Amino acid sequence: MLKTEHYDLMRTAADMKIGEKAIIEDIDNSHPSSHRLMEIGFTPGQEIVMLNKTVFNDPISFSIRGTIIAIRKNEAVSIII
Amino acid sequence: MQQRITKNKVPLIAIAGQPNSGKTTLFNHLSGKKFKTVNYPGSTVEYSISKILTKFSINANILDSPGIISLIPSSPDEELSVNTLYAHPDYGKPDIVVVTVDSSQISRHLYLVRQLINSRFNVIIVLTMLDLLHKKGYDISESKLSEILKCDVIKINSKSGEGIDELLSSVNRNIHNLENENGSVEVVKNPPEDKENLLKSYSEIGHIEADVIFPMKETPQLKEPDIQKINESLVVLNNPRLFQKPDEFTLKLDKIVLHKFWGLIIFFLTMLIMFTSIFYVAAPLMDLVNEAFSFLSDSADSILGDTWYGNLISQGAISGVGSVLVFLPQILILFLILGLLEDSGFLARGAMLIDKPLSKIGLNGKSFVPMLSGFACAIPAIMASRTITNKRERFLTIFIIPLMSCSARLPVYAILIAFLIPQDKAFTGGLILTVIYIFSIASSVIIASVINKFSDVFLRSNDNSSFILELPAYRMPKIKRAVTNMFSNAKQYIFKAGPVILYLSLIIWILTYLPNYNPVVDGTGKSEQEIVSLKNSERIATSYASHLGNLIEPVMKPIGMDWRVGVSLIATFAAREVFVSSLTLIFKVTDTGEDIQNSLLSAMRNATFENTEVKIFTTATTAGLIVFFIFALQCLSTVAISRKETGSWRIPVLQIVVFTSIAYILAFVTVNGLRFFGIN
Ligand SMILES: Nc1nc2c(ncn2[C@@H]2O[C@H](COP(=O)(O)OP(=O)(O)OP(=O)(O)O)[C@@H](O)[C@H]2O)c(=O)[nH]1
Ligand SMILES: [Mg+2]
Repeated sequence: MLKTEHYDLMRTAADMKIGEKAIIEDIDNSHPSSHRLMEIGFTPGQEIVMLNKTVFNDPISFSIRGTIIAIRKNEAVSIII
Repeated sequence: MQQRITKNKVPLIAIAGQPNSGKTTLFNHLSGKKFKTVNYPGSTVEYSISKILTKFSINANILDSPGIISLIPSSPDEELSVNTLYAHPDYGKPDIVVVTVDSSQISRHLYLVRQLINSRFNVIIVLTMLDLLHKKGYDISESKLSEILKCDVIKINSKSGEGIDELLSSVNRNIHNLENENGSVEVVKNPPEDKENLLKSYSEIGHIEADVIFPMKETPQLKEPDIQKINESLVVLNNPRLFQKPDEFTLKLDKIVLHKFWGLIIFFLTMLIMFTSIFYVAAPLMDLVNEAFSFLSDSADSILGDTWYGNLISQGAISGVGSVLVFLPQILILFLILGLLEDSGFLARGAMLIDKPLSKIGLNGKSFVPMLSGFACAIPAIMASRTITNKRERFLTIFIIPLMSCSARLPVYAILIAFLIPQDKAFTGGLILTVIYIFSIASSVIIASVINKFSDVFLRSNDNSSFILELPAYRMPKIKRAVTNMFSNAKQYIFKAGPVILYLSLIIWILTYLPNYNPVVDGTGKSEQEIVSLKNSERIATSYASHLGNLIEPVMKPIGMDWRVGVSLIATFAAREVFVSSLTLIFKVTDTGEDIQNSLLSAMRNATFENTEVKIFTTATTAGLIVFFIFALQCLSTVAISRKETGSWRIPVLQIVVFTSIAYILAFVTVNGLRFFGIN
């Protein structure tokens, strides 16, 4: 099992800019929401596009697999790109 | 868990699928019911069951279920949801599972389909939202999908009825097969999936998706070469994943609705328009209802004369019920606007927008929809809180929902506001109503954050807080659908609240009419009308209601009220609206020949404390009453549902204690504060 610290230097979905495209590299297993994120389609290899942030910069919405899904920033950090 | 259908058991067909995939729309079509369909993931929170309409000539029960993402639950609520699908407590295991799959995003939806097939359910796949896929320029091959997954696949449109016949014949075929099957197949629960299996499953789905989805445009014939057409189809062919792009229009509109500045403006404007139009748009309609009931009551009076039964029918029944139903148009407008919002897809954006501020006070963006529906009624709103996965946040949402000004309070506010403002200043009325709404929202924020501070004591739960929400494609709200929906809501309201109001009006009429139903008064030198009015006062002053009222008078005095208002307040615990009809019955002593609403207003203006000249209803006491109604938890059904949904008495008891004491204390402060500043 990888620990969170190993990912610290990597970019995550939370760092993406509006309109940016990225391919998911991995999902951080240690995050409590990781399993749910994978179940709804955030899987390694999948392309995502960052679409919008709210006024408060959180949550953020992504285009994924034909739909749009909003997640919190602290959940987006578990999506490594 | 036997799969075999015995000949005399009615087969059970369950509709399952991801949230917002069109389950309830299909259920309604097959059952003729009118359950709520909302363009928001998580609109259905309860299993509901019905017979399939006889016109479809299948003798079977059909089950609508809350949307699920996976058969492997990740919260206790989901677990209940999933377990019920495996074995409904009353109906057992479904014989056939119809899975709705949103064609515009099949990869996400096939994930659940595969789990259901692996569990050895008898699956029929129904492809919905084809219009959305077509809009992207793609189509899907149901025969290929059927071949790959080895089960029936049917394209449907539950709104127009397309594909329903095919679905029914597939259902018939499946039932027939089950009846003839000798062995029995058992369903098995999916083992919890580890990451590796999950990813393997998704990669297989990726291949299936690529196999079944194809661009709608034919490859152009070489005979008539059209450069542009060739180019277009090349773009499509070279980007096989273009169908994974969300709806184009939705992407554009989101740029505005979720814009940092405009998004906020749109959000607040929507809320403001909603609350103010409740007052302004409804006004002309209310006049109509008011006149109709006044006419009925007057006719009853003139036909039956001044007898006890005449009084019972014209006062107890017609005026009592009428004084509340006058406000039905306001409630209808609220339902209409909520319905339009629900259809549009805006609610999910609202939830996203407000997630951050709400999470600061211990709530969740997903509290937004339950809180908003709390403005219609707290009961469905509390049930809607089930979509919040975090227990602490869900309990806190349930806790503050009674503070949302539900539609039952509208009649009360409306009559009190009408009392406060001069007739010709109708504009101020809408403003005051908006202020009341804003005030109650602000109070709920404060109370939520206080309770959250002590969450260890009150809520006693602390699991992972999460916000993952699909933002569905925008849809043009269908006015016709919203109007039908509004009328079915109105019907429900009349049939649910109507009898309660009627019975209570009759009870209050009896309490105010007996035992001294024919009081002796000194009528020398008085006109006939004055005698009637004297009799009425005397009758009420010596009535059962008065005896009862004297017991609570000491509690009412500090907030500037007398026993008569106290009796009306007690009656509100059955239904808040009854306050208005009860005032009508208790205070109306003279027949002024005005319509129901205006005669109640005059009665309130003339009402004095018994044997004194001191007016009961003043600006100060009326404001105090409004404050009381904002906070008081006068609704037994809310207490009951809160007990049911939180699984213990802790939250509901806390709600009663906290809200009722705040209501009383703040009413006291308002009345005496205003008096202190010379406003009476
Ligand atoms: N464009 C389009 N919209 C549809 C179709 N079927 C249903 N809808 C709409 O999709 C939304 C969701 O439909 P529902 O029937 O409430 O979905 P559900 O699966 O019951 O959703 P949950 O109860 O939240 O799980 C509603 O706004 C429907 O009007 C369809 O074939 N095409
Ligand atoms: Mg539903």
